[in-house]
Amino acid sequence: MQSLPSIDLHMHSTFSDGTDTPAQLLKAVKAAGLGCFALTDHDAIAGCVELQGLLAPGDPQFIPGIEFSCKDELGKYHVLGYRYDPASPAILDVLALGHGYRMKKLGLRLDYLRAEYGFVFPEEDLEALYAQPNPGKPHIANLMVKHGYAKTKNQAFADYLNRLHAEDDYVRPEEAIRGILGAGGVPVLAHPCYGDGDQIILGDELEQRVVRLEAFGLQGLEGYYSGFSKPLRELVLSLAERYGLYVTAGSDYHGTNKLVSLGDTGIKESAAPAEGILRFWEAVTT
Amino acid sequence: MNIRLSGRIDSNNAASVEEDLLRQAANADAVVLDAQDLEYISSAGLRVLLRIRKMRPEMKIINVNSEVYEILDMTGFTEMMEVQKAYRVVSVEGCEEIGRGANGTIYRIDKDNVVKVYNNPEALADIQHEREVAKLALILGIPTAISYDVVKVGDSYGSVFELLNARSFSKILAREPDKLDWCVQEYIKMLKLIHSTLVPAGKLPDMKETALGWARFMQDHLPEAAGKKLLALVEAIPHDDHMLHGDYHTKNLELQNDEVLLIDMDTLAVGHPIFELASMYNSFVGYSELDHGVIQRFQGFDFETGRRFWRRALSSYLGTRNERKLREVEGKARVLGYTRMIRRSIRRRALETEEGRAEIAHWTGELLSLLERIDTLTFQPNELELEAVPENLEEVQAFVEEHLEAADCPPKAQMQIGVAVEEIFVNISSYAYHPENGNATVRVEISDDPVSVAITFLDHGTPYDPLAKKDPDIHLPADERDIGGLGIFMTKKLMDDVAYEYRDGQNILTLRKNL
Repeated sequence: MQSLPSIDLHMHSTFSDGTDTPAQLLKAVKAAGLGCFALTDHDAIAGCVELQGLLAPGDPQFIPGIEFSCKDELGKYHVLGYRYDPASPAILDVLALGHGYRMKKLGLRLDYLRAEYGFVFPEEDLEALYAQPNPGKPHIANLMVKHGYAKTKNQAFADYLNRLHAEDDYVRPEEAIRGILGAGGVPVLAHPCYGDGDQIILGDELEQRVVRLEAFGLQGLEGYYSGFSKPLRELVLSLAERYGLYVTAGSDYHGTNKLVSLGDTGIKESAAPAEGILRFWEAVTT
Repeated sequence: MNIRLSGRIDSNNAASVEEDLLRQAANADAVVLDAQDLEYISSAGLRVLLRIRKMRPEMKIINVNSEVYEILDMTGFTEMMEVQKAYRVVSVEGCEEIGRGANGTIYRIDKDNVVKVYNNPEALADIQHEREVAKLALILGIPTAISYDVVKVGDSYGSVFELLNARSFSKILAREPDKLDWCVQEYIKMLKLIHSTLVPAGKLPDMKETALGWARFMQDHLPEAAGKKLLALVEAIPHDDHMLHGDYHTKNLELQNDEVLLIDMDTLAVGHPIFELASMYNSFVGYSELDHGVIQRFQGFDFETGRRFWRRALSSYLGTRNERKLREVEGKARVLGYTRMIRRSIRRRALETEEGRAEIAHWTGELLSLLERIDTLTFQPNELELEAVPENLEEVQAFVEEHLEAADCPPKAQMQIGVAVEEIFVNISSYAYHPENGNATVRVEISDDPVSVAITFLDHGTPYDPLAKKDPDIHLPADERDIGGLGIFMTKKLMDDVAYEYRDGQNILTLRKNL
């Protein structure tokens, strides 16, 4: 078995809510000395396609990735997918489904801001907004700050955007998992203890989620994650071991949108990486 | 002023909660977040806490429910900042009181659990202290109960212990007076275990320091000469690193199934056993000397039972039924006992009432007459543990002689006992641990009826019954006799009874001589 390179399998580009373009990201990855990385934009694969075209011999190993936002009766999830065929209809169908939900939500939000607060945006800004691969709340918040409707992005969220509690449509986790599997990829649950990033899910609740998703074909858990304390990391690693799942490591780097650095996954704090991450790396790179 | 957190803090309200908290924190001297009504906190909420703490590093969170505590614990927040759990609220209304000590009262809250409610509303530090000393005692081999939970009781706090089907010795004495002897035996067995436990330096308070405080306090309340003598007597008590319970009465001893458990550990200290005897005297006799109802109310049995229990316990502890010796040690205990009671009453403003003044006058009178005849507060314990080597024979002989002299033992019997003691101790030194070394214990017990002395030797060496060997034939010519066996033969001749048993991994050999 080869030894594991310095690895980061969770990061975002301008194709979702990161601040680095794929080219900038590749440069940053090299500067950070990573030996293996994956780009995992929210509900988007175009960044991976672009990045693949930028790779030159000698560059770090690149694994195409994605992070699907999902929801079912148990709550919200982020499901990562790795090394899928980007031309496979299986994954493109799920993307289309998610994109449709997202556009519907975008329209609802803009309607709400206009009806409730009288916020209107110039046509050219709206066009640019709709032209984004995956426009969402952060993009609207940017526009609100730009036009003086809110002082900060945080205020835009707290005082306006988060007040709309419309029925949200999301891709279900089993749809995402099936799409990734159908495209020959490996589905992995992102930051399992944090749900969609902003919950805290522990104990039985967490195990219940893992059991449920594994039945749908989930193959791994993101056991090393920048936001995990040691007990959380150990909790996820022990679940991965109990259910024979792969383990991945991710920083969730967002460029300047988030205070984490590339390669910041907590894996270096462990004496030896979990056996599940070696298996994962071998499976996706050979 | 505490800042209240309530409901859920997640991404939907994190920004507004943060703004609100920062505004309140700006006006607060110290930031204390009261999480009593906080149901859930998401990672967005945790980030709010982090930012507040960044600005106010002294920030702490109190009254955290167990779900939120788990989140804070798993995410590492409990290590980053002070987080206090919310305490379960327990009512003791209508619950049976099973124990009462200086710092709190113990109630049974259900079949399996008891709660010790502290008198002091700021009791969390006391509870922590008691947990720590109870753990220490347990590690050192004292059977005790360790509390597993801290709860809120009214305005104060309590610690909860599991105590299954347990009955205190006070209750046993109150309901089954015929068990008095058994209770005394178990009570003293536990006391000897406590007093033989060496405590690592600095782990427990030194009782001598406390008693010096009492003696200094008394300087203003006694004639000058008597005050000085009291202080000198306490100062002369040697330092001792053995454990003392500090409040050793029958409500603090519980019988759980067949196991005797010591409870109420907050008064644990180190020091000379006379301090313990003083506190025991007060519990069973002193506090009730003038008002016999005191012990009835507190222990549930009458003054006569208390007095009898104290005398039997003292006799068993000292290993003597010699009335003079008992009176002598009791007198020393009373010196410290009265000192403590007088100080306690004065501090409780007893001098302001007629009743209080009468009580203090009585105790002071007793104390003054004791001080006239007592010249030391130490006493000779009746057990000596030392290395079983021939060089220690002299020390053993001196120890036994001192007890025999105190019991007015005739010189001839003293000489005979000396021969027997030498024979047995030299045997143990030579063979018990051969080729290693080990300790032996020598115990001297004097009885009055008939006047007799029992000397017991205990060792953990190879099991050996010296009495099993056939007596040598002393009628054979000298060169045909077996070597050895003569010593134990002589011992049997000189003593009225010699008995051997092997119990608890120990050789136990007892010599008895009627005086």
